[in-house]
Amino acid sequence: MKGMKYDVVVVGAGIAGPIIARNVARKGYSVILIDKKWAIGTPKQCAEGISVKVFEKYGIPYDRRFINREVYGAKLYSPSGYELEMRYKDVSGVILERKVFDKMLAYYAAKAGADVLARTEAVDVIRRDGRVAGIKAKHEDEPVEIYADVIVAADGVESTIARKAGINTYAPPHEFDSSYEYEMLIEGYDPDLIHLWFGNEVAPRGYVWVFPKDEDRANVGIGINSDNPQTAKYYLDKWLGENRIPAKKILEVNVGVVPVGGFVKELVKDNVLVVGDAARQVNPMHGGGMGEAMEAGTIASEWIIQALEEENITLLQNYAREWWEKEGGRLEKILKVRKITEKLTDEDLDLFIQLLSGADAEKIAGGNYFEVIKALLKNPKVLMSPRRMKLLRQLL
Amino acid sequence: MVEKIRIVVNTDRCYLCGGCAGVCPTLAIEVSSSSWNFYQDKCISCRICVNTCPVGALTAEPLEGEE
Repeated sequence: MKGMKYDVVVVGAGIAGPIIARNVARKGYSVILIDKKWAIGTPKQCAEGISVKVFEKYGIPYDRRFINREVYGAKLYSPSGYELEMRYKDVSGVILERKVFDKMLAYYAAKAGADVLARTEAVDVIRRDGRVAGIKAKHEDEPVEIYADVIVAADGVESTIARKAGINTYAPPHEFDSSYEYEMLIEGYDPDLIHLWFGNEVAPRGYVWVFPKDEDRANVGIGINSDNPQTAKYYLDKWLGENRIPAKKILEVNVGVVPVGGFVKELVKDNVLVVGDAARQVNPMHGGGMGEAMEAGTIASEWIIQALEEENITLLQNYAREWWEKEGGRLEKILKVRKITEKLTDEDLDLFIQLLSGADAEKIAGGNYFEVIKALLKNPKVLMSPRRMKLLRQLL
Repeated sequence: MVEKIRIVVNTDRCYLCGGCAGVCPTLAIEVSSSSWNFYQDKCISCRICVNTCPVGALTAEPLEGEE
């Protein structure tokens, strides 16, 4: 059995893991990043869209090798086909190539001094004197023991390491979305925008998306409530069929489950931290989690560095405190909005998408929705419906 | 009383996405990069995994009379 010792072991080379490994390595601490995938980044479980702001904010190069396409906004479609377009003058987001992006994030970590080991699966935690002393892993069929002062569980929605370390990450089934996606050739949708379709028949609790990676190539996917008796695949194939979109040029099939219903409370237990999807740090409205993982990873790495510098492991608790202050509150508000939108009927969706302008939608997207809701509350079709009044008032 | 079940995977459908492991309340499923594993002794027969699977790769079989 191979034994190793590091200051920090990071389990999972998705988004949060490599950012932590990079930041910690830059300060001169020893860190190893492991991932069960034999090619980091592959297969992807993602629609690959992200705000253009994250590159500067988190110190990630704007490298064309992982940017498929720049987009300028979004178009929303209601169940009966009403449309709402938000188009910006400047690039608002990009559609990544996650296979390259994740691998490059791990590469940046390695260049900063971290060790990186693909095809290395964390099997269990090592306990010594009542605390977690490291990770039992397996590289191919070879057992590996990695001892570390700090253990980071960045192992995704199926996270087992946090749970094995005694952190309660459980959430009920309604708090997850099931997702299914084709990367395929598709025509007829403006490739400068992302496209989202809403409706209780189209995608219960979620939406169908077309995220362009090329003029005629896109991630076409769906998210639905995971406790739905039908599968996500069923709903996506139904939508493609009803819209007479030929699904004959399919380059990839992607599958996954997204935690959309709230966040792990206990983000730190002694010397173990949980980040990203493993901590359910996902935007509950749109199910995207890359930006959230970058933010959580950044906060976590600051406190890991501080704890190592001062040789005081209790400082890690500040990651939980700071995350809840900066991010938790914001995301809890978004969760509240999502829980209200879950109650909207198809008629409500038609009406609201008709009533809203692009400018309104921009305000909503930016989290500035109070004015928009107040304006909607004055609309006669809303005023005449006590139920709609009640739903909208809950948002204020 | 809840009917005791065993979860069976259709490996031709399964993408090893790990979603079932994520929603399982008792760590009765583990998904590695190359295999799907079920631990009967931990399963509480809740069927959450069966409903969650994005492609319908999981089914529940009754365990009656086998123990």
